[in-house]
Amino acid sequence: MIVLLRLTAGLIGWAAAFCLIYALHGLGCAGGWDARPFAGGSLHRWVLIAGWAVSLAATTAIALVLMRYRATPLDRAAAALGWVGVAATAITFVPILVIPACA
Amino acid sequence: MSALKLHTALTAIWRNDPGWRGHFRSVNHSDLGKRFILASFVFFAIGGVLAMLIRAQLATPRSAFVGPEVYNQIFTMHGSIMMFLFAIPMLEGLAIYLLPKILGSRDLVYPRLTALGWWCYLFGGTVIILAMLAGVAPDAGWFLYPPLSGRAYTPGINSDVWLLGITFVEISAMCAAIEITVTILKFRAPGMRLDRMPIFAWYMLATAGMMVFGFPPLILGSILLEVERAFGWPFYAPELGGSPLLWQHLFWLFGHPEVYIIFLPAAGAVSTILPVMARTRLLGYGAIVAAIMALAFLSFGLWVHHMFTTGIPHMALGFFSAASALVAVPTAVQVFAWLGTLWQGRPQMRLPMLYLIGFFIVFVIGGLTGVMLAMVPFDAQAHDTAFVTAHLHYVLVGGFVFPMLAAAYYWLPHITGRERVMRIGEAAFWLIFIGFNLTFFMMHLTGLLGMPRRIDTYPEGMGWTWLNLLSSVGGFLQAFGFALVVIDVALQVWLGRNHRRNPWGATTLEWAMPIPSPDYNFASLPSVDSRDPLGDDPDLGVKLARGDGYLADASRNQRETIAVDMTSGKPEHVAILPGNSWWPIVTAAIIGGFFLSMLAGLYVIAPIFIVGTAWAGWRWAWTNGTRGDVGPLPIGDGTTLPTSFEVARTTGWWGSVFAIAASATLFAALLFGYAFLWTVAPNWPPPRLIAPSLLPPLIAVAGGAVAFVGSRSGRAPLMLGGQIAIVAALLLLLMGAPDPKSHAYAATSAALASYAIFHAALAALIAAFVMARARAGYHSASRINEGRIARLWSDHGAGAGAFVAILLVLPGWLA
Repeated sequence: MIVLLRLTAGLIGWAAAFCLIYALHGLGCAGGWDARPFAGGSLHRWVLIAGWAVSLAATTAIALVLMRYRATPLDRAAAALGWVGVAATAITFVPILVIPACA
Repeated sequence: MSALKLHTALTAIWRNDPGWRGHFRSVNHSDLGKRFILASFVFFAIGGVLAMLIRAQLATPRSAFVGPEVYNQIFTMHGSIMMFLFAIPMLEGLAIYLLPKILGSRDLVYPRLTALGWWCYLFGGTVIILAMLAGVAPDAGWFLYPPLSGRAYTPGINSDVWLLGITFVEISAMCAAIEITVTILKFRAPGMRLDRMPIFAWYMLATAGMMVFGFPPLILGSILLEVERAFGWPFYAPELGGSPLLWQHLFWLFGHPEVYIIFLPAAGAVSTILPVMARTRLLGYGAIVAAIMALAFLSFGLWVHHMFTTGIPHMALGFFSAASALVAVPTAVQVFAWLGTLWQGRPQMRLPMLYLIGFFIVFVIGGLTGVMLAMVPFDAQAHDTAFVTAHLHYVLVGGFVFPMLAAAYYWLPHITGRERVMRIGEAAFWLIFIGFNLTFFMMHLTGLLGMPRRIDTYPEGMGWTWLNLLSSVGGFLQAFGFALVVIDVALQVWLGRNHRRNPWGATTLEWAMPIPSPDYNFASLPSVDSRDPLGDDPDLGVKLARGDGYLADASRNQRETIAVDMTSGKPEHVAILPGNSWWPIVTAAIIGGFFLSMLAGLYVIAPIFIVGTAWAGWRWAWTNGTRGDVGPLPIGDGTTLPTSFEVARTTGWWGSVFAIAASATLFAALLFGYAFLWTVAPNWPPPRLIAPSLLPPLIAVAGGAVAFVGSRSGRAPLMLGGQIAIVAALLLLLMGAPDPKSHAYAATSAALASYAIFHAALAALIAAFVMARARAGYHSASRINEGRIARLWSDHGAGAGAFVAILLVLPGWLA
């Protein structure tokens, strides 16, 4: 079972990031965080950027841990999927930087 | 024992009952797999006839062929049948028939559960078709959006037929999902490590995992909509704090992964058949496994791309748009691996290969239009037009029907043991391929010219007339093609000459047996040390038939196969499987009674069937197990293994783990709905909150703690008492709660409490069962697996009960 968990760990990281950031986005729009100025932007956008940064750090950490296991083909696939998780987390949430949050 | 005597003895153990009883009591995976495949093809034919009616209606402007009421039923039933009664059951049937054979096992892990799934599918599907014949078929589109599907706009039973019938059928899908997952993880040939599994098993493992997590949101959404229709709990009514968008979220949380649930098994067939047709080995096994896993996860992050025009904020649309484009990458990895396999091999243009080429062309076009629709601005233009209809047919027919036809021709000799008679299949292919592209390529154009989906007629002068006529001509060409496929298969079944074993020169284990396969699959079980066991040893089938493998001893007169360690494939225990039984059909009939009483509005009678289902489950489970210790059994090669009665983590334990995972997903979806309505729906906050009393949550937490202590210490009475306390606490809480009809807050709170009560009651029932079994002598120091399973359900019931009790009073405390 641990092999399967390793194989899916990077993607589980991406899925958790997706849940976190989508939930923060919904909460922010419902709570009016977008209208609260903060550090040159809105509170909402900074919260989302923080969530994205935490997610990137977490998925990168998962990928680095998975890199330690390279003995079998499945371990190597798991390591590759760890980096897929990082890339997917990086790409999916680019709209945080360029699109209005609640419009 | 000689090969013939072994065959005779094993046949006596594994065969169906003689006569008519055999049809109803069979639990054999080959039989049930073939039944699933045949029934799903019958439903496909019905759905196909409906498609022809649609094309007849749209062939000319201002058609008077059928009126809008009938047309609504026709297109709703076409989509619902193709998705729920054809595609999913077809992939289940293929997996049920093939998996034990390709993995080197004698059966699936839960033969009786397979039979239960079959009867639920047959009964549920039959109810839906009978409703259509009676003129009360669902008519709100295959995705049944409220408010159109709600009581106000669909006052008859049309929507209830869909909600109850499809949910009944989904029992079959959930059974299959858990069955397939545990079978792949536990019932492999000794030595078959995970990285030696046939690639088809990887595809099915991902598919089954997706079903475990993908179907519960749909089941939840259907339950909520049926409860709204039946009892007026306003989950989707905005005037009372509900939201129709909640249905769309729940539906598409299932609906988009569903596309990949359908595609992945078909891609598994492609990855299995293509190397055989190209006379080489599959290129990029590891990359394909990684791509399968990536698809399985990424496909859950796309569901909102079906909702781009519903007014969701653009940033959220951006997340889903990016994920939708991203999912094309792992798909492309597979396509390039297949092209590389063809490049390195020596392809033969045999009939399955023709369908694979058709798959490549059609599916790639469907994938590219999918990327177009993943872009929000384009989708805003093309949404709800015939372009989307064309896209989804290119994906689903290209990604499922063409590979399944290749699979049918590839594995038919395995099922029939016969050769094809004439070359009708080639003519059928060209009719289907040309007809399909004529039908649906034109629909891209009509869509781009602005023709909406689901319209029953259109005026002249829109520029759609000739394109629609060509689409209809193409549709009928396809129909002729499928008719030829039926004739071709029928000729093979009745007139074909006997085929030699392994006619394609394949390297996977399903061909290491006589064809058609015997009831027990393998006279003795193979030991595997590569991904191509039959390629390494072409005589493997003969050796296994003469008893050179494991478990070549039928003297114990019971159904035995080997369960292995999930990762290493080392033999772990001898699984003793149950034989033929009435319980699956009896239980399915009782469950059917519940659904029919709900459909008829006999809500007072429905609980009787819930009690009946619990009774049947108890009696069914009682037939398993043994009253004495068995000890290790010899499996050959000087090795002995314990039986499934005497190991802690049996396949039943693993099945419970995945069943609880599915249930937890449904709970998570319900929590999502609760949070979604609080934050997004209009008319919140609710007029009255649940009173912030301390007593119910305290009783629930205390009950949960008692049950937890009981589960840790193995004391079933404590588990039972704790669960009863949880049920009492939640009922107490509900008694003081606002009327569920008054507001969506009260309705979702009642739904959360109902979930927790159901699971606590189920855990209590299991604890009572374990107590009774212990008293009857089914447990001993070595026979502990039932207690371990009860522990899982008790912990789940306790956790859910305590959590829900606190959650429900929390808003009152915070207010």
